[in-house]
Amino acid sequence: MTASGTFGYGTEYSHMFDIQRLGAIVCKGTTLEPRDGNPQPRLAETACGLLNSIGLQNIGVNALIKEKAPIWASWHVPVIVNIAGETIDDYAQLAGKLDGVAGISAIEVNIGCPNIKAGGAEFGADPKSAAEVTAAVKTATSLPVLVKLTPNTSHIAKIAIAVAEAGADAISLINTMKGMVIDITRRRPLLGNITGGLSGPAIKPVALYMVYEVAGAVGLPVIGCGGIVTASDAIEFIMAGASAIQVGTASFTNPRSPLDVLQGIEQFMQQEGIDNLTDLIGAARH
Amino acid sequence: MKQVSASIISNSEVMPGVYLIWLESPQVASEAKPGQFVMVRCGEGSEHLLRRPFSIHRLDNNKLALLFTVVGKGTHWLAQCRAGNNMDLLGPLGNGYSIQPDWHNLLFLAGGIGIAPLCFLAEKALNQGCSVRLLLGASTATQLYPRHLLPAEAELIITTEDGTAGREGLITDFLPDFVGWADQIFACGPTLMYHTMAAQSQQLLKVKSVQISLEVRMGCGLGVCYGCTVKTKNGLKQVCKDGPIFDLDDFTGEELAYNY
Repeated sequence: MTASGTFGYGTEYSHMFDIQRLGAIVCKGTTLEPRDGNPQPRLAETACGLLNSIGLQNIGVNALIKEKAPIWASWHVPVIVNIAGETIDDYAQLAGKLDGVAGISAIEVNIGCPNIKAGGAEFGADPKSAAEVTAAVKTATSLPVLVKLTPNTSHIAKIAIAVAEAGADAISLINTMKGMVIDITRRRPLLGNITGGLSGPAIKPVALYMVYEVAGAVGLPVIGCGGIVTASDAIEFIMAGASAIQVGTASFTNPRSPLDVLQGIEQFMQQEGIDNLTDLIGAARH
Repeated sequence: MKQVSASIISNSEVMPGVYLIWLESPQVASEAKPGQFVMVRCGEGSEHLLRRPFSIHRLDNNKLALLFTVVGKGTHWLAQCRAGNNMDLLGPLGNGYSIQPDWHNLLFLAGGIGIAPLCFLAEKALNQGCSVRLLLGASTATQLYPRHLLPAEAELIITTEDGTAGREGLITDFLPDFVGWADQIFACGPTLMYHTMAAQSQQLLKVKSVQISLEVRMGCGLGVCYGCTVKTKNGLKQVCKDGPIFDLDDFTGEELAYNY
């Protein structure tokens, strides 16, 4: 599937390749009201990484339901809506509004955005808050609920267990890692927001370790994300215990990346004589 | 808009640190409009994750040219590319300049590397029978875009900040001399140039259509990542999708100070 924030609403890429072949599309993080996002500059390229401080600029959930969901309803590929809030009630309201909307197959709960002042990563760094958000969303919707975890915590497994006990249907990880860049000629942080979230191959080993850790701690399906560019990256995540993977930043380098990764996995399975992907899930855990 | 592998025909340093690349790409060339840009993948592997945006500089049948200054690792890599190499392009992207059909006198303001999109536009305008005056500015004579590469029919007015060629000063210093003649103004240059133009707009530019090209760091080039969002008088706009060409009237210049 595609990672939230790197594939828009799917419509932007639908004329470039057959997006219907993907497992799922996760749309841009969505809030109750439209958000303007953070000041410029919002992007900085780092060694094998991308630091962003977009700040969840988005059209808001009402516009999403009115303008985007009807398009998705005509697609075969399932669309998962990523939601973000500043309070637990925001998350519950978002989940309630999306419940029963044609074209929406699941909800991914973003409790780890490092780029917004209130809410966001605060929920993802504390097991109790993470569980409360999860429970509130589950109560408000009958859709499957994925909870996306932030790596900006020292106890990822505890968060995962709390989220699982609160009723999550799956866990996706990792969101971006908090970081910064300094412009030495101007002697100030490069990003307008001072800090941002790091993505891309630079974070892959960290993401892989966290997926390994979480897959060992909970019985839920785990969706691996963080720096996946090639099929072999994806297979590493699957062997660490992920049942599915998301391709994010790589789509900016090459919009066809999600499909290339999918085809590469199929090719690997053929080479290795594997009929069912489940044979590879957690294969590196023994 | 297409993702294509374009063959490099030539790559040459036309002034110190500034390169001109000609590429063969019928798919991109057939769709391209002046003011639009392409996203170029710089390097192999994962070192440079983001494509770099470049204005389409000129067009010649199936070929298109890009003009760029070497400013960092991506453009340094690009400067090393040779004829016969292939380049991964995404484009054409963005909205492009628009020439009003019944307006004849077109004034162009090119600040430094800002000549990049204006060559293509000038060629199109001259083909349509418009009269083109080009104010070409640079910091010093060696940084002036070569005269022989410009359309011969365009009337050229050169300015340099240090007076080593043409008139001494910034191109905006001489804008008042030409603004009465112009029906429409097209500009590309540093953000500071637009600030100066916006400050003059009350007296000078009010009745003119003035189009400017904004440059902001971009992630995707397609309106997906929201990395290039700027505030305009008409609300938030994505430079890659809603621009890069904007009316000077809409320009606020907020947040873009870093780009000086």
